[in-house]
Amino acid sequence: MRIRTAILSGVLPIAIASHAAAAVMPAHQTSNPWYTDAATSTNAKATATTPNKAKNVILFVGDGMGVSTLTAARILQGQQKGNQGEEGLLSFESFPHTALVKTYNVDAQTPDSAGTMTAMMSGVKSDAGVLGVSENIERGDCSTVSGNELITAIELAELKGMSTGIISTARITHATPAAAYAKSADRDWEDDGDLPDDAKAAGCEDIASQLINFEPNLEARIEGADVDGLEVVMGGGRRSFLPKDAAFNSDDAVSSVEGDRTDNRDLTAEWKARYPNGDYVFDQSSFDGVNANTATKLFGLFNESHMQYEADRGNDVAGEPSLTEMTTKAIDILDNNSKGYILVVESGRIDHGHHAGSAYSALTDAIELSNAVKAAADATSADDTLILVTADHSHVFTIAGYPKRGNPILGKVVNVGETTPTTAADGMPYTTVGYTNGLGFHDLGNATDGDAVYSEGVQAGRADLASVDTESSGFHQEALVPLDSETHAGEDISLHARGPGSQFVRGVVEQNLVFHLINQALDLLASE
Amino acid sequence: MKYFKVAILSAAVAGLAACGGDNDKKSSSNNNSSAAIIENTRSNAWYSDAEAKIAATTQANLNRGAAKNVILFVGDGMGISTVTAARILAGQLKGQSGEENNLSFDLFPYTGLAKTYNVDAQTPDSAGTMTALISGVKTDVGVIGVNENIVRGDCTTVAGNELVTALELAEIAGKSTGILSTARITHATPAATYAKSADRDWEDDGDMPAAAISAGCEDIASQLINFEPNLEARINGVDVDGIEVVMGGGRRSFLPKDATFNSPDAVSSVEGDRTDGRDLTAEWKTRYPSGNYIFDQTSFDAIDTESTSKVLGLFNESHMQYEADRGNDVAGEPSLSEMTEKAIKILDNNDNGYFLMVESGRIDHAHHAGNAYNALNDAVELSEAVAKAVELSNSDDTLIIVTADHSHVFTIAGYPKRGNPILGKVVGIGSNSPSLAADGTPYTTLGYTNGLGFRDLGNETDADEAYNQAIDTGRKDLSQINTQAPGFHQEALIPLGSETHAGEDVGVYASGPGAALVSGTNEQNMVFHVMNYAADLVNKANSKQVAP
Repeated sequence: MRIRTAILSGVLPIAIASHAAAAVMPAHQTSNPWYTDAATSTNAKATATTPNKAKNVILFVGDGMGVSTLTAARILQGQQKGNQGEEGLLSFESFPHTALVKTYNVDAQTPDSAGTMTAMMSGVKSDAGVLGVSENIERGDCSTVSGNELITAIELAELKGMSTGIISTARITHATPAAAYAKSADRDWEDDGDLPDDAKAAGCEDIASQLINFEPNLEARIEGADVDGLEVVMGGGRRSFLPKDAAFNSDDAVSSVEGDRTDNRDLTAEWKARYPNGDYVFDQSSFDGVNANTATKLFGLFNESHMQYEADRGNDVAGEPSLTEMTTKAIDILDNNSKGYILVVESGRIDHGHHAGSAYSALTDAIELSNAVKAAADATSADDTLILVTADHSHVFTIAGYPKRGNPILGKVVNVGETTPTTAADGMPYTTVGYTNGLGFHDLGNATDGDAVYSEGVQAGRADLASVDTESSGFHQEALVPLDSETHAGEDISLHARGPGSQFVRGVVEQNLVFHLINQALDLLASE
Repeated sequence: MKYFKVAILSAAVAGLAACGGDNDKKSSSNNNSSAAIIENTRSNAWYSDAEAKIAATTQANLNRGAAKNVILFVGDGMGISTVTAARILAGQLKGQSGEENNLSFDLFPYTGLAKTYNVDAQTPDSAGTMTALISGVKTDVGVIGVNENIVRGDCTTVAGNELVTALELAEIAGKSTGILSTARITHATPAATYAKSADRDWEDDGDMPAAAISAGCEDIASQLINFEPNLEARINGVDVDGIEVVMGGGRRSFLPKDATFNSPDAVSSVEGDRTDGRDLTAEWKTRYPSGNYIFDQTSFDAIDTESTSKVLGLFNESHMQYEADRGNDVAGEPSLSEMTEKAIKILDNNDNGYFLMVESGRIDHAHHAGNAYNALNDAVELSEAVAKAVELSNSDDTLIIVTADHSHVFTIAGYPKRGNPILGKVVGIGSNSPSLAADGTPYTTLGYTNGLGFRDLGNETDADEAYNQAIDTGRKDLSQINTQAPGFHQEALIPLGSETHAGEDVGVYASGPGAALVSGTNEQNMVFHVMNYAADLVNKANSKQVAP
């Protein structure tokens, strides 16, 4: 308010002032939109108040969505709308509270998704590669699980009578979603076919089976507890739920034998037996047919393995929902519970796009995550719903050179004042975005499946990009160190928050603080 | 807040009760807190540490004008990957694993992200970004203290587009002011606090085109010396006393191009670059007869902070040394933390408070040279300087902001195990030998997407020695190379004469009154507005203006 007074007086003739003229700032400065926008934003922050306690919490995890991915996705989103790009914001970048998050695992400088999501879901940092267990685990040794299991926010919410949901565009048995519900000495134990014999003999249960048995397992772990199970589970990964028998193939199976299970269990049938009123869906039309007002349980497995990249979704055999559609449907079901809900949403394939060296896939999936967060923000109230958006770790993905404002983010660097690409010391142009390692350059034209690159060889180093369309969906960026998969990166990632309790999101924090933010907002450990 | 504390307490009480029970078999349906899995989770130190951190959250001080003092630290080129790697290095230098370490400003209560682009550039430079940070207005790449209506390099477009900076407002408000940099004090970042220039390169008159000189534009070094009369001429009715503390490198722009003006520790045969015959250090001494002009460690050490009214320190012909190379300076020069301590002790003699800008200018230079060793060591020294500022000020009345102007294409790669040397080769979990890439050779954790590429300069502590060798990008066999040596320069993909800036957001770390305002993803020019809100700079400056 006081700033407005200053602006007004700044444009009045100084001569009328009898004492202080109040105009040290030139009017062109105080009326400059850069100046007024930032002043308005500052004053708004100074007066905002946020309650501590929430009814609902939604945690979005952009797998592999480091800060460079956010910036590049923001620019791409703006450019797709015809803007220059840099000036925009992803939906959650307008959230008022932020923190920087230290992602390392207890045994790893640069982490993986299993250890990081365990930290976020249980409040305890753990080792790389393990799910829902503390650092005292020996990765891959089933006998070390017992006694080291951790309880997760999802489980505590179940115990409190809240509704719960887990969504991922990856396999629902993949590390990030699995850390919400499973305890496993190895993230790779997605179905019984993945379990070593000694793990089976020692009584360890595969991750898919743990998802289906979530309710009885939790009740067994917490004596006297009576929970009603996860209300919403959607993602990919059907193969870990079906017997290795073509007779169990889904309508949109891609492989000749879709299932991977060697124990002949059909976990989708087991789920339906446990929840006779539940809806099991596997394609767009069955997804669309779910009535969110009457559905009590929803289990969606839309792909044999991971769901499609957002840019490739149109190529799915039977059609599958977008992350935004899944998020909206989940909230519509979960909010039927007056005790509130926790929903965990993973955008799992930003990570996969980067691993494949395809910035196009990674960024378009990050934009879809932004859309899903916007849908969640629109479908909920900032008065009672805490929304947290973060990543588990980053990637070695950089935004290089001195491109001019509005230069296509997937294009070649064109300097300020220029119209043709800048050339490097080798006389060849170079792209703005790139990777320090990975499979390297591949020009797959209009391919929209970033994973198509894995049938090509590793091809690191420089290539002549002069006549290559680097903005096409099938372009894979150059890389320095040849690896068959681009790696994670170890720098801090960001956490963005809105709603009750979001004011505790601040500073530089260890990643396991995310659980405690949820717990602060919901008092998950308080007795009923 | 109150309700929250109660909740924590009751949880703790439940936990104690559970510990007293013999096992989970005594659980009842409405007291699940005693289940073994819950106790196992809650008794873990990771759990209790994070819980305690949230419980320690205090109410933010958001009263306008609550900050008497403001200190802005700028780590030039200090992107988020640099902060993480420097944090790990600092921890490892202390004998820790490193990842769990915190730089001094990692412990600040609030952080935000800053969008760094310039009005005309997707990936920015230091001139446009510092103009945004210090004046509240984004502008073009390469220009100093003027808005985007400027045409870079055209002196005639400056008039009418000049911006007022936080340093100038503090000066008008009667606060003491200071500028420190390990770069030349005429370089883009420090210059944006005090100069208005159509080009960042106009550091002295020898750098200026004839057209600019004839059109009346003043070089940056001269603007620093004439800061007081220039500010009084630009804004009617203000009476200021000039910048109290100025320390950095860049003596060459202040001295005539004449060997008789060489300092005792000159490196070049003719140190000065000025072609107009002016000795700006002499002009400064004439303007401030009781001020101290210093140029080496000895004269720096001799400064009595309680009796000194003005200091001009120019410790090097060009940039000051890299922190790791400081011992090789001819006449010795102070560290950034020493300069910070000296500056605060002088500035805090003013009851009206102070504004201090501190740039760690050579994090950027080391990255440009592809040398992580110096970039990280300079970032660690910045952390030390911030720690010194925290120690010498009070968080009740001093806003400290630490940020970067832009990032670099610098990554922390692979899957190194916990505690693996951050400057070393990637060694995986459970292994003792380096992981191999598909080409059969090891690779370093740290690397660059572009630049000069690999160099093995052994124990060389001056990163800029890299410019004496030809560009050498791509993969090298590092199996016999000590990648942790000061003179090791990381591999790069794209061959360029200088590694480039990067365009992703940088971190903003803040402590003190108004610090909470840095939260969120903000345009970089917001930093000015946070400082203005916290110290009420515009209103305080306006109140000092006297009608003509």
